[in-house]
Amino acid sequence: MIDYAVILKAIAAMAAVMFGLRVLPLIFCKKPIKNRFIQSFLFYIPYAVLTSMAIPEAFFCTASIPSAIAGIVIACVLAYFEKDLLMVCLSATVAVFITDQVMRFVK
Amino acid sequence: MYANFSYKNRKVVIFLESGIKQASNLGYKKGFFDGIPICLGYIPIALALGISASKLGMNVWITQLMNTTVYSGSGGFAALNLIEGGEVSIITFALTLLVVNCRYLLLSISMAQRLDPGMGFLQRVCFGIFNTDEVFAVAVQNPGKLKFPYLLGLATLPYVGWMSGSFIGCLFTNILPKSVGDALGIMLYAMIIAIVVPPTKKSKQVLFIVIISILMSVLLECNPAITKYLTPGWIIIICAMVSATLGAMFFPVQDSDDDAQGKEAKAQ
Repeated sequence: MIDYAVILKAIAAMAAVMFGLRVLPLIFCKKPIKNRFIQSFLFYIPYAVLTSMAIPEAFFCTASIPSAIAGIVIACVLAYFEKDLLMVCLSATVAVFITDQVMRFVK
Repeated sequence: MYANFSYKNRKVVIFLESGIKQASNLGYKKGFFDGIPICLGYIPIALALGISASKLGMNVWITQLMNTTVYSGSGGFAALNLIEGGEVSIITFALTLLVVNCRYLLLSISMAQRLDPGMGFLQRVCFGIFNTDEVFAVAVQNPGKLKFPYLLGLATLPYVGWMSGSFIGCLFTNILPKSVGDALGIMLYAMIIAIVVPPTKKSKQVLFIVIISILMSVLLECNPAITKYLTPGWIIIICAMVSATLGAMFFPVQDSDDDAQGKEAKAQ
């Protein structure tokens, strides 16, 4: 059950965070960051966050685990060959759809 | 810094070839057209976000409100993740978004040095709200200081695509057959794969970060003793902070400012 009172407060908090991250540096920070540790941390954090978000959740996001694996494999292969973002997303979706249909047929 | 966007550089090259010479001559119209490919890239992601939100049972207007203010694919996605997990702590929402999107801090700091010094307070606020990774990536390819009309033009269509995509996604969920809706669930993860995989080819360091994150995430999230006390949101924060800290300790990056200035000098 969705608690909208919590969600509305959460949206307000998230909006404030986004504003702080995106807008405040444009206003206040005109000097470059010199600290190498912070630079490196900021460079690596997107990959760290995205990966922890996707694994293991990606395996449970479709109707069955085999179809999720099919989608993930297709996405990894296409991404490895540096295909377009849109192409990767659509191909993975099609792979999941086909696998689910085949599995239903086999059953 | 620039390695961050290597997968997008292919797109960006097109802009350079289409005749951008002088940043000072770039107006709203030029920015508007430069925004078209970004917009096209955002629509499927926003669609998937809208679909995921309404599959959770979120009200369409609340979803739109969230996407208006949290204008970020990974941010919106992380928020839905928390909502799905029944998260009630506002602090967790705020912290998750902070961690997921803390790259914006770097983007904005880098961007601040490229803005036209004549840009006023309100213009900076206005552009800041609509700035994204892709807008940044396209904007900084232009030589010289960036002026407000061009930036506003560049940010216009991506935002329109984002909002209309998520709106259509919300409305269409009930029309779509369940099998198609289930298949679309993979879309956001495919997006993440498309962003994360190409840099791991070029950088062993990024590969190391990704592997550490996978191992930690699997170990923590598949461990009932941990999930009893920590929500998925906190686990993501912990995994990301630890692996990025390890990366920063063992593989500090080259000074990106020198690199950026070198590129800029070359472009001019």
